[in-house]
Amino acid sequence: MINIQGLTILFDSFKITDLNIDIEEGEFHFLLGPTGSGKTLILESIMGLRKPHKGRIWIGEKEVQNLPPEQREISYVPQDLALFPHLRVKENILYGIRARNLNLKLYEKYIDDLIEVMRIGHLLERYPANLSGGEKKRVALLRALGPKPKLLLLDEPLSGLDLSIKTEIQHLLKTLHSSFRPTTLCVTHDFEEAYFLGDGITICIDGRVEQVGRRNDVFRRPKSRKVAQFLGATNLYKAKVLGREDSLQRVILGVNGLQFYIPKSLSQETFELGTEVHLFIRPEEVMIIREGKPVKDSLKQNIFEGKILDTIDRGRYHMVYFETTEGKIRFEISIPNYAFRNLHLSIGKTVRVALREESLWVIP
Amino acid sequence: MNFRYTMIGAALCIFIFYLGLILSLFYFVGGKGFWEALANPYTLFSIRLSLIAATIATCFAVIIGLPSAYALSRFEFPGKRILDTFLEIPIIMSPIALGASFLVFFNTPLGEFIQNKGIFFVFEVPGIILAQFASIAGLATRLMKASLDEISPRYEAVARSLGSSPWKAFCGITLPLSFKGLLASVVLSWAKAVGEFGATVTLAGAMPGKTETVPIAVFTAIASAKIEKAIVLILILVAFGLLTLYAIRLTGKRYRYD
Repeated sequence: MINIQGLTILFDSFKITDLNIDIEEGEFHFLLGPTGSGKTLILESIMGLRKPHKGRIWIGEKEVQNLPPEQREISYVPQDLALFPHLRVKENILYGIRARNLNLKLYEKYIDDLIEVMRIGHLLERYPANLSGGEKKRVALLRALGPKPKLLLLDEPLSGLDLSIKTEIQHLLKTLHSSFRPTTLCVTHDFEEAYFLGDGITICIDGRVEQVGRRNDVFRRPKSRKVAQFLGATNLYKAKVLGREDSLQRVILGVNGLQFYIPKSLSQETFELGTEVHLFIRPEEVMIIREGKPVKDSLKQNIFEGKILDTIDRGRYHMVYFETTEGKIRFEISIPNYAFRNLHLSIGKTVRVALREESLWVIP
Repeated sequence: MNFRYTMIGAALCIFIFYLGLILSLFYFVGGKGFWEALANPYTLFSIRLSLIAATIATCFAVIIGLPSAYALSRFEFPGKRILDTFLEIPIIMSPIALGASFLVFFNTPLGEFIQNKGIFFVFEVPGIILAQFASIAGLATRLMKASLDEISPRYEAVARSLGSSPWKAFCGITLPLSFKGLLASVVLSWAKAVGEFGATVTLAGAMPGKTETVPIAVFTAIASAKIEKAIVLILILVAFGLLTLYAIRLTGKRYRYD
């Protein structure tokens, strides 16, 4: 169990205040934040390369904030990897075990397993300069895992890779984690990466923790507008509490004269009448109704008619821009390519959209 | 005029300028005085003295300069900029002034104490080493700092996280990675020490067979109109210089850091 408490870092123009992160043993935890939000500073402080202004760090039972990096048992894979260029792949991999004077014999099986999972057996005698980008990533990961660290720190592990290699490394990280379960803290600005790999996610914006949670919570239920905006939420609307149907455990919100029905459980709000809130729905959760097909009960409450303003082919999916006839509320809708084709969507077409109650989320 | 040819032409001019200078020496080579001067025991003494003194001075410059270079390259500390500026003292200060400052220093109570209780520097061989050290220590530090700057501190960070102490990370990672650059710095500093004249002659004097290094011997030979002897010594200096430059070129192969 890794426990970071009240970490405060003041460095040049960066200010990170009161950062708290808890990571369970074997968890793949993500520290997610916009580029330039000081994430690398946080890693350097956890690792012991930088003295934080305040804060305590526990690794298991051991309090480490006053220990030098070499005594913390935290391995680090920097963004530029920093493979030792004068050492062969094998020597790079064994560096940690040798530096800690560990008994190589006890690690042989484990290292062999790692080499197999990472598929770098044929590269052991090479120098880093003769490796491809993806191979370098794999060697760097293996080097970090070599001495069985208590915590593995990854700094933007998938940045700067071609899409195909990125996907490969992403899957490799997943396999690696499910096979060896190293406790991992990974910083990134890429939400998709965090969503694909992460168990838990801490969102840090402007030097403050904005939200901590399981990936689905963070994704569908951002706690603040800041988080929603960082996650690329465009379907975010100012709303007012118009009424409560306590018997149905439901709340009615008004946006531009349109009414939205929302289960009461889907917000931290108490929903006093007249309270101003924000209504949020992810672009994937807005459904375009196929005419002539019956609509499910859970969708019936929130159905709106409007026109398609624009469509954009994003390659892997289509983005549809929709505006309600009444209230002129605009939705960004992301739909799979096959659905886009089946629905025969085109600019100017009148369609109806349905919002699943459970997909709506209310932010203060 | 063609831009490219103008630029290359300028480079060629510099080359011809220096080459002509060296070639002109050969006008006097081969005369009777030439061979005599070469076999002269004082000449051989000068060569030996120059090499030994410069090597010792360079060793001291590395012992103190390498840690200093590392500190300047990797750490932030108060007074860092001032310290960095002071490395240029031997460059902006005339060598004679540097030597004279030493003479003054050894006449202060502290200087006298050092000479009485420890080593005698004024007009002695240690004075040569001290003068050479003074004129190269700053340069050596600067050059070594530049070599260390080329190595990303990230390597050491990773080595530390993998369990290496700062010493181990320095010796096992940074030192081998910057070795070629450091070696080139050392060789260049050594060559400068061999050629040092002003500070050496002021502090250690010009006694043949005692404190007369090769550059000083050149000066005394010219002063007493022994042209052939001067040329022998100059050619020896040029040979040292070219050999060191060649040595630096040999170390030019670097690791690829990509």
